[in-house]
Amino acid sequence: MDLTVASEEPSTFQQAEPANLVTLELSDPERAAEQARDFAHVHPLDGVLGVDDDTAVVAAAIATRLGLTGNPVRAALAARDKHLQRLALRQAGVAIPGFALHTLDEDPAAVAHATRYPNVLKPLRLSASRGVIRADNAASFPAAWRRVAAILAQPDIAVCGDWARQILVEDFVAGPEVALEGLLVKGELRVLALFDKPDPLDGPFFEETIYVTPSRLPADAQRAIARCAQAAATALGLREGPIHAELRWNTQGAWLIELAARPIGGRCSAALRFGERGTGKGEGVTLEEIIVRHALGMPLPSLEREARPSGVMMIPVPRSGLLREITGQTAAARVPGVDAVQLTIAPGQALLAWPEGSRYLGFIFSHGDTPAAAAASLRAAHAKLEFTIEPAGD
Amino acid sequence: MSAEITITAEPIDTGRCKFLVSVPVTPGGVRRFTSADDAQDSPLVAQIFAIPGAQVSEVIVSGNLVTVVKRDQAPWPMVGREVGKAIRAALASGAPPVAVKTVPANPGGDDALYDRVAQLFEDEVNPMVARHGGRVELIDVQDAVVMLRMGGGCQGCGMADVTLRQGIEAMLNRHIPEVKGIVDITDHGSGANPYFAAAKK
Repeated sequence: MDLTVASEEPSTFQQAEPANLVTLELSDPERAAEQARDFAHVHPLDGVLGVDDDTAVVAAAIATRLGLTGNPVRAALAARDKHLQRLALRQAGVAIPGFALHTLDEDPAAVAHATRYPNVLKPLRLSASRGVIRADNAASFPAAWRRVAAILAQPDIAVCGDWARQILVEDFVAGPEVALEGLLVKGELRVLALFDKPDPLDGPFFEETIYVTPSRLPADAQRAIARCAQAAATALGLREGPIHAELRWNTQGAWLIELAARPIGGRCSAALRFGERGTGKGEGVTLEEIIVRHALGMPLPSLEREARPSGVMMIPVPRSGLLREITGQTAAARVPGVDAVQLTIAPGQALLAWPEGSRYLGFIFSHGDTPAAAAASLRAAHAKLEFTIEPAGD
Repeated sequence: MSAEITITAEPIDTGRCKFLVSVPVTPGGVRRFTSADDAQDSPLVAQIFAIPGAQVSEVIVSGNLVTVVKRDQAPWPMVGREVGKAIRAALASGAPPVAVKTVPANPGGDDALYDRVAQLFEDEVNPMVARHGGRVELIDVQDAVVMLRMGGGCQGCGMADVTLRQGIEAMLNRHIPEVKGIVDITDHGSGANPYFAAAKK
């Protein structure tokens, strides 16, 4: 198929290859849709996809303008903004944590005395749990607030608009967290994978580590989680395309924590393959192929994930500094069950630990006869890796 | 070898994956193999072609980079493990893993193509990428497949693959349709000054 890649800064090849590359004002989705319409007059488009939270909104605007498969813009906007999302979910009766929106102009000490504990402070739009901090009491709340505020004050974020001066404070929901990967087709959720997160995400920071699928939660819990995700997608008005949702499960049922109108991030999608080998229903199909096929209205292969449990570890950043050396990669890759160790930060590069950071050291992939075995392989491989990190210079 | 050999897999897509090895695999030049028969003098490549079920169709070796192309849809994590074993075994054997190229596979055709591609790079491609501080070096043309290395602002750039596929490859297809493919042998992980930062995660 022919592909056109849109970017907000022009490619140096755009004039030479005008059908392949286009510059859009991605920060202004409606303007980007106008530009895409003009482009489509010359180079017709059959489908459009975003690749992250912001471009999911742009893709929605373009889809709406051109009559392509996609989501309404307001739905994509609600999925991108944690406060808008919670307002819509609360109105629809979806189980979500109690929440309140605050601005950085408020006195954190005053907010601290007016909120429930434990709670979680969150920026409205940053991804990968960047800037997400748990506070357990009024004494620790102001420090958490100041730390989130410092992240929002960073130059690349501060210029992003009103949301960069706001903090969402919501109740901490206890219980295991899962990630649901799904595809919406005419508003109906098809669950592609449900990942357990075996490392408890209880804070104070929420750096992800291990994802393992299939989930070991009871079948009725998994059904309740899928219903909750479906209800959330419906409440937001999402109709088409990938979703990635984070949910918690406890004695009160399933809780929607976050829902994004995009697929799983980083390289984690490599842990997913669909279609059973030998069935002729599509073998080893990637998540990306499913998403592209759906966007283009092409027949979908089997959406059944491969039978073997698989897992991925987002390699956590132990501390901030300058990465000097990585050892143990060979031993890690040789751990039984491990498929690959992919390091995505090279020696010489700076590391930033959570909550300020959002970039992992890399990814480890595994398969196992059971989800527990897949997770154990990831842990064993991670234990083989050693990272020499020096304090960052001034 | 006493030092630990590390191998980093960088899947490009379902069919292609680059393996960056911490030590040189071949002392110089680029070699491209399209069948196990081509690889009889290169044990590393022969082992990769012999990976059961992978249906490897092409192996390109350059310096410390091994690019593998396969037809099978099996995910790279599984095949990559076998590729890693093959690389380590070949390096541990002490014999040259890859024989030095002696005779061009298709001297007339490839030599002529090389000149035309080099001219296109000089006249069109490099002036374009130079606007972002980049450069593209033509390494070789083997069996009508262009091997190139990206440098400067292109090396490690978050948009490097877009430049490669949407720009350079499209331009080659249009101007020199005899070119059958394009292989990027750049070590993007070592890019010191990419024009656009790589993806966040």
